[in-house]
Amino acid sequence: MTVKVEKIEGGIPHTTIMIAGLIASLVFLYLTYANVIMGTEYFAFFGGLATVAALIWGSHTIKHLCSYGIGTGVPSAGMIAFGSGVIAMLFATKYGIAAPIVAVVLAAVIGLILGYLANNVLNMRIPVMIQSLVEMAIIGALVLMGYAAMMTGSFELTSLTTGNVQILGLSLPSYQASFLGGALIATAFMLGAIAIQHPFNACLGPNWTQDRMLMLAAECGFLSMITAAIMSMPLISMSAALVSLFVAIIGWYYTYAKYIELSKRDAAAWLESKPIPDVEGH
Amino acid sequence: MSAIGAKPAAGAAVDTTAMVVGIIILLLVIGATYYLFGSGLAFMALIGIIIGGVLIGFGVHFVPVGGAPAAMGQAPGIATGVAMLAAGAGLAGLFGGAWAAEMGVVVATITGAIGGGLMMAITCMFVNFIYVFGMGIPSASGKVTKDPITGDTQPEFKSQGTEGHGLPFVSYVGGVIGGLFGGAGGTLIYLVLLDLYEEELPAMMNALPAQIVPIAVALAGMFAIGMFLVNAVLAAYNITGTIEGPHDPKFKRFPRAVVASAVASAICGIVAIMIVAV
Amino acid sequence: MESIVFGIGITALAGALATVAGAAENTESDIGSQGDPNSQVQLAPQMGYIHRIFNKAVAGEPPAYGLWIALGAGIAWAFMAMQINPILAIVLGSGIAVFVQGVYATTAYLGRTASLAKFGQPVYVDILKSMTTVTMAHAFVAIFATVTLCHLINAALGHPFPLPLLGIVWGIALGAAGSATGNPFYGKERQYQNQKFGAGVPIAASGNIVRYAEAGERNSLDNGWFSAKLGGPASGVCFGLIVFLELWRTVLFEEIGAGWGAIIIGIIIILVFTVIDRYIEVWARKNYGPYTKPAEEASS
Repeated sequence: MTVKVEKIEGGIPHTTIMIAGLIASLVFLYLTYANVIMGTEYFAFFGGLATVAALIWGSHTIKHLCSYGIGTGVPSAGMIAFGSGVIAMLFATKYGIAAPIVAVVLAAVIGLILGYLANNVLNMRIPVMIQSLVEMAIIGALVLMGYAAMMTGSFELTSLTTGNVQILGLSLPSYQASFLGGALIATAFMLGAIAIQHPFNACLGPNWTQDRMLMLAAECGFLSMITAAIMSMPLISMSAALVSLFVAIIGWYYTYAKYIELSKRDAAAWLESKPIPDVEGH
Repeated sequence: MSAIGAKPAAGAAVDTTAMVVGIIILLLVIGATYYLFGSGLAFMALIGIIIGGVLIGFGVHFVPVGGAPAAMGQAPGIATGVAMLAAGAGLAGLFGGAWAAEMGVVVATITGAIGGGLMMAITCMFVNFIYVFGMGIPSASGKVTKDPITGDTQPEFKSQGTEGHGLPFVSYVGGVIGGLFGGAGGTLIYLVLLDLYEEELPAMMNALPAQIVPIAVALAGMFAIGMFLVNAVLAAYNITGTIEGPHDPKFKRFPRAVVASAVASAICGIVAIMIVAV
Repeated sequence: MESIVFGIGITALAGALATVAGAAENTESDIGSQGDPNSQVQLAPQMGYIHRIFNKAVAGEPPAYGLWIALGAGIAWAFMAMQINPILAIVLGSGIAVFVQGVYATTAYLGRTASLAKFGQPVYVDILKSMTTVTMAHAFVAIFATVTLCHLINAALGHPFPLPLLGIVWGIALGAAGSATGNPFYGKERQYQNQKFGAGVPIAASGNIVRYAEAGERNSLDNGWFSAKLGGPASGVCFGLIVFLELWRTVLFEEIGAGWGAIIIGIIIILVFTVIDRYIEVWARKNYGPYTKPAEEASS
């Protein structure tokens, strides 16, 4: 029933990106568990890397879905991904070490039902709708879990709900100064929801290229990671937060420079203070 | 908002099989909740969430949104995305409703509804203000020849080569009604979840009730926003992004969105409830 | 009594901040051609109209401002949790949020323009440098004012939501109010200055945006100057009224009748705005007159 607006030509096939993104994201999330095993917080930055991996995958899923023209803006797809992901992610944090797996499975179930609703009940009839919403819910859950792990050092519910307040050098436990109690999850929600839709929204057009969009996805991921590292400062030790910040800035600088290079490669011309070129007929 | 111009051809037809399947899923979730938690607070919370979700999904259909063409005066409605405009109104309502939470469910829900309606009333008034005094364009609907409320004729006020512009009175009223529904729905979801979490979290986390209030508020607030966005986006998919208001033929598609919102809210709701109740 | 006077003072301050935020938000988004008018900036090169307008398609204004404000609020919250003075914390939070906004703006312009290579639209580095900084300055005003108003609502008026949650709520509302009010003024009046005044842009004219200025070629700073005349202030008054009236009715009237006071006042305000809206609509119908004779009604 629907017309496919743009074709995906060449490049890495979607399935490869999906599997690589899922595995990389899960592996990075589990690497943050080294914090619990070794009793430090220095491995928190792996949570940020998990979000980058998931966002790269997510940007390609959005491309896959939105190339059909879903009738409303690209950003709304990011909203539904995180709206369903946040619920699966918070439920999964109850399960300790199994949390990432539970999040993936539960998000897949929620995504499947939402996809069925959109495709069949709302009669959208887009071939990739169900698969895409499943993927997006999983990505939403993984990205939020990555930010949670990065900002608190762990993906377990107890560490998300408890924080410390420093008063006159004393460290007191507090529910208010925590990832959930302070609602930092709201910021993580928006960081992910914009980062997931931006790469495709910014790169769409007839000269869309896959490597440029994926590079931009990595750039958005690292940029969000910088701010997440700053927000982790009151929740984990300062040195661990600085490690995250350092990793994020290096990653962001590299991907941003690379992205500008790729844009230069793809652009029609790269002009500084030049007038509008003459085009025939206008 | 997106440069992809092609609109999907999602027809107005109702897929009966899918609707039945949706309703069966809904009943299964309600039954499962009753079976797991009995008829206590958790069950009432699920019912509240479903009602709230349906209010949001239904309310979005009233909000007159023209999308990109509206910004050029080519189509009637407000020039922005329908899901996010509804979210703006609904969340402004949620803000007021959350503030009045201790006044009881009825007062707080109505306060939330008024908050959403107020936001839409001011916004819609300013849309017409800009059209009339900034651009010199009177309102005209493209879908009907007479405004169903005021009886004003529309086609002769439609400028050449456009589908209409501005917000005719019926669209204004639709916008306010949409804000009322959205604000009420978002607030209701927040209130039932807040009640449940304030009840269950102290035992689960071994803490005093006063200590967990920030957690309960943040959790309930975040879930209310998340479920609001899910329902608003599903409703936006149903009307393929633009609608003129309750007089638009697309409005008749709302039964599909009501079923979809109910099922989506039930699924999200049961998970949100299980966080504290399992 | 004293607490009510205090509450009204905070309400007025919050309303004033919201007005500034709304005006800055709309001017910022118009300089960046964000939101719905973006579709025309994107379409013009495809129709052969190469231009020097900034094309900053991050997202629609509501989600984008949802992020900027939530981010500013989240970072401000984090710094306040580290016992940093709230004013400094809000400034730092807004500063970092603006950095993110600027990076997003550059990547959006580069991405959209590079993807239009087929139609010969070049990347103008000078546009990137001069427009991004101006949008960042406006965005800073909008973010700082909105995060401050969220902090006032939370700390002084005692709203239960933590700062980042208020940020997401008012950020999306700010974007929604600003885009609804300001977009048509930029999209129709400025981009299509060459079309007839007092009529919508005919669909056939889509893409033929004005590309030349009073002197030289138009860039987006000219657009910011234009929308600062009406679109920006109107968006500001719109968002300011939303925030002010919402707080005002709660602070003053919530105690009356166990919450029903605020509800009744809210209904009265909605009715007042409905009457104003109807007056504007009828005034326009009377004074601008029909485009065609009513007799042609049947044929159209």
